Amino acid sequence: MTFLTPLLAGIAAAVAVPTLLILYFLKLRRRDVEVSTTLLWKQAIQDMQANAPFQRLRRNILLLLQLLALAGALLALAQPEIRGELTPGQELVLIIDRSASMQSTDGPPDDPRARQTRLDRAKAQALEMVDAMKEPGLLGSAGDRAMLIAFDTSADILTTFTANKAELRRLINDISATDSPSSFAEAFKLAKAHLRRRIHIDDREGGKAVTFDEQTEGGALVHLFSDGRIPDLSTIRAQREDQVVYHRVGRSDAWNLGIVSVRAERDFNTPSSVSVFVAVQSTSRRARTVDVQLSLDGRVVAVRPVELPAAQTVTAAGATGPDAAAPTDAVQTLVPSVRGAVFELSRAEGASITVQLRHPDVGLPEGTLTGEDLPDPLGVDDVAYVILPPARRLSIAMVSEGNFFLTRLLRSMNLARPLQVVPPSLAQAFIESKDLATYDLIVLDRWLPSRTVDGAPTLTLPPGRSLVLGAIPAPPLGLTDQGEAGATVALNWRRDHPTLRAASLENLIVNKGRKSVLPDNVGGATVVLAEGQDGPLIIEAADITRSAIITTFDPVQSNWVFQSGYPLFLVKAVEYLSRGGIGEDALTVRPGSTLTQRLPQDAREISMTLPDSARVPLVQSDAGDVNFGPVADVGIYTLAWQGTPGPQDATDGGTNRRTVASNLADPAESDLASADSIALASKVVQAQGDAQPLGAKRLWPWLVLVALAVLMIEWWVYNRRVAF
Amino acid sequence: MIKLTTPTRPTRLDELLDARFVARLSALDLTSRKVLAGKMKGERRSKRRGESVEFADHRQYVVGDDLRHIDWNIFGRLDRLFLKLFLEEEDLALHIVIDASASSDCGEPSKFLLMQRLCVALGYIGLVNLHRVSVTAIAGLALGPDGQPTPQLMSSVRDLRGGRRLADLGRFILQLTPGGPASFTEACKRIAIARRGKGVMLVMSDFFHKEGYETGLRLLVGRGFDVYALQVLSPQELEPDIAGDLRLKDCEDADLTDLTITAPLLKKYKQTLAAYCNRLRDFCAAREITMQTIPSSVQPDVVVLDYLRRKGLVQ
Repeated sequence: MTFLTPLLAGIAAAVAVPTLLILYFLKLRRRDVEVSTTLLWKQAIQDMQANAPFQRLRRNILLLLQLLALAGALLALAQPEIRGELTPGQELVLIIDRSASMQSTDGPPDDPRARQTRLDRAKAQALEMVDAMKEPGLLGSAGDRAMLIAFDTSADILTTFTANKAELRRLINDISATDSPSSFAEAFKLAKAHLRRRIHIDDREGGKAVTFDEQTEGGALVHLFSDGRIPDLSTIRAQREDQVVYHRVGRSDAWNLGIVSVRAERDFNTPSSVSVFVAVQSTSRRARTVDVQLSLDGRVVAVRPVELPAAQTVTAAGATGPDAAAPTDAVQTLVPSVRGAVFELSRAEGASITVQLRHPDVGLPEGTLTGEDLPDPLGVDDVAYVILPPARRLSIAMVSEGNFFLTRLLRSMNLARPLQVVPPSLAQAFIESKDLATYDLIVLDRWLPSRTVDGAPTLTLPPGRSLVLGAIPAPPLGLTDQGEAGATVALNWRRDHPTLRAASLENLIVNKGRKSVLPDNVGGATVVLAEGQDGPLIIEAADITRSAIITTFDPVQSNWVFQSGYPLFLVKAVEYLSRGGIGEDALTVRPGSTLTQRLPQDAREISMTLPDSARVPLVQSDAGDVNFGPVADVGIYTLAWQGTPGPQDATDGGTNRRTVASNLADPAESDLASADSIALASKVVQAQGDAQPLGAKRLWPWLVLVALAVLMIEWWVYNRRVAF
Repeated sequence: MIKLTTPTRPTRLDELLDARFVARLSALDLTSRKVLAGKMKGERRSKRRGESVEFADHRQYVVGDDLRHIDWNIFGRLDRLFLKLFLEEEDLALHIVIDASASSDCGEPSKFLLMQRLCVALGYIGLVNLHRVSVTAIAGLALGPDGQPTPQLMSSVRDLRGGRRLADLGRFILQLTPGGPASFTEACKRIAIARRGKGVMLVMSDFFHKEGYETGLRLLVGRGFDVYALQVLSPQELEPDIAGDLRLKDCEDADLTDLTITAPLLKKYKQTLAAYCNRLRDFCAAREITMQTIPSSVQPDVVVLDYLRRKGLVQ
């Protein structure tokens, strides 16, 4: 048990208790007087007590005063309060932006030299708001309650509505910035979902439309602490009664240089030549020069200066927003300037490339500082990582009766040794020979090896990686062949699959396909990539020893061979299979999103090492994926496991490693100028000034003091018997 | 009202009776509305038929009577012998009862001092006019066997006659020490029993007796005395000047009363006092007691020459 106001009680006691004692003792002290006779005095007193009307009156005055004192005490129990700026019993939602831009150290507006991040400022403002919350009163009546949400790409509810100020302060202080970009939609939805709802029952036309909102004030009171750099604000629809208070942190004149894009590519013909493309964006109103530094595996190999001109301010014609209260004036937007740097390297092995911006070291000028005088406030976007996979030349074998087109296409790829073409008659022996393992990939043109399973010959996939065109293997790693089918088109396909991105299946017409169906109990080993009328057209099948991409129809029996998507599909499929089923850009991930990698089926003891060297164990799903998320920081993430390595993974004494890079690379997040207002889809919310919110003043202590004073007066009246 | 801590006790007769006052008293004589029998010949008409110069009544002659008192006028007319009867001249008995209880020792000026002065003044008038003077003091303190003053019921001096006895009277008055409770009824009973004959009685007291004054006064009147009552009250009893939270202690029976003086209480007290005095006056009027309330601040010569002369005690 603690006392909220022990000092007040102490002072009141120091005044009241001695006064009462003094009055009490004054009452008892009587002068002794010897008189000739008390006969008449006694008679007088008796007469007076019997029927003096003033006695009744005096008793009534005392009664009145005692009633006043009691009324004061009872009113104090009722706890009257004056309304402050915060409506009593308010439910607040505090939403704090913890995205990468909130890490900028552009200081408070009145003290630019202070190296304080925007998140610190936002946390300070949120703490002030928590302090101004109305306290819960005596006897269980609730005070203001607040809900805390922190968001970057995703939103987390740190606490639902609580009046516990200490808990709120602790949670606010524990918020730390992440390197993710910001997205407000989820945070706003969460806030709306948790607020109470008004009940409307609209039974016009017989139907009953019921919406819920128990708040008499209606709407949500949401406090957003952010710098306003939120790209998806225009998608958020706020209701008219929703109140969004935008507490702005950061300077509107903050500048930033950042890496917005980085890419490493190997030359198609000479895979050991690597080009690294770096795009740098400037939102500064001054021309600036920055050095771009390239490191390979931690060793600096090149530095290139980049000159960035000043960002231009473009005045667009005024436009009215969708629900804006008034037409806006001509809108001034700052167009950042973007310049690039290209590095040419020669490296056949894989490497992790680090690109770093090095700013010239200029001290702070004296006198008043503008935002342009500060050093680069955000360091998160000054570094980027790229994982360069090792250059590989493939060895491909093909089983075909003779396919001119296919042969030409495969021969044009960068192969380590000439394409091995095996006729079908020798194919079975070839498959079962040890030579197969020396090839990265085998292309099977209308042929599959057969094995005797349960007495019947069945078509199966060969071990290793294979691309099968126009043949259907049997389950478990295939489909149930149901015979010939007629013409069909591609009804549905996975456009995000690396092999199908450029395959242009929308124009595909298959002349003669085969009817097939995916068996029920394959357990995720077979994935349908494209589907037609009579069954799957393209599937991907993989288990521990085999992985394949299979087209159930012969491409020659379709119009696919005449389209540009067909060679692209083939090349992508070859690359995909030779990389072990990983997409080419799967080695980068954005902060805030989930890192997904497919590992060989026999992987065990899987762990992820984070940029801060922490290790996290991971579990592989049935399909062979491991997931880690959300990715919080920019940097290199290393996946390690025991077992079979993928084709591009490094092996180090039995442990296989795969590295993934996480970059911010977000032009919107690198533009740090803090927004004056945030434009939601339905309204524009202006930034609030620095007015301190007032809390509710509690009156009950004053009432108790008044009751005490009235008690004093009553005691004094009782004791003063003269001059009435 | 308040008991004095240092009361003035006169020690010599001339403190009670100064020369100028004496000169004026010498011209006065006691009177009585009722004609009373005296024991010896004084300058007083009495109802007893005896030998005197004033004709009172006739009686038939019987052998042996004195032939000098035959009324010859009646014999001439009626031819029968009748004797003249004459009023015998008698002296007047004066009995002064003085209240020497503790309550008399209060007041500024002291009530008891006034009573002493009046007692000496009237006693002087009685003595120089050859009346019999007796003084009884109710209550009072006397030196006990252990030398400490103890309350007594009464003390008295009797049958003083002639101017030579003034010193005895004075000595008695001066040695009186007021104090102690007054048993008014018991004292009056003793006075009434011991008193032989008839006379004038003057009772000086404040009559604040908790047991009541009615029985005592009734006893005094019943024996045929011509009773005069003088209620002596101090100015503080008439207009109390006390205030505040008090514990009052009765100086006679030590009875305690806690009270707080307020204006209404004072008003009520005065009403009670007035009612008390009125009741006393009515009681005395119903029994032919001449009663007068005087404050102790009045001069004794005003009392004697003005009040008592008007009331018919002196002339």
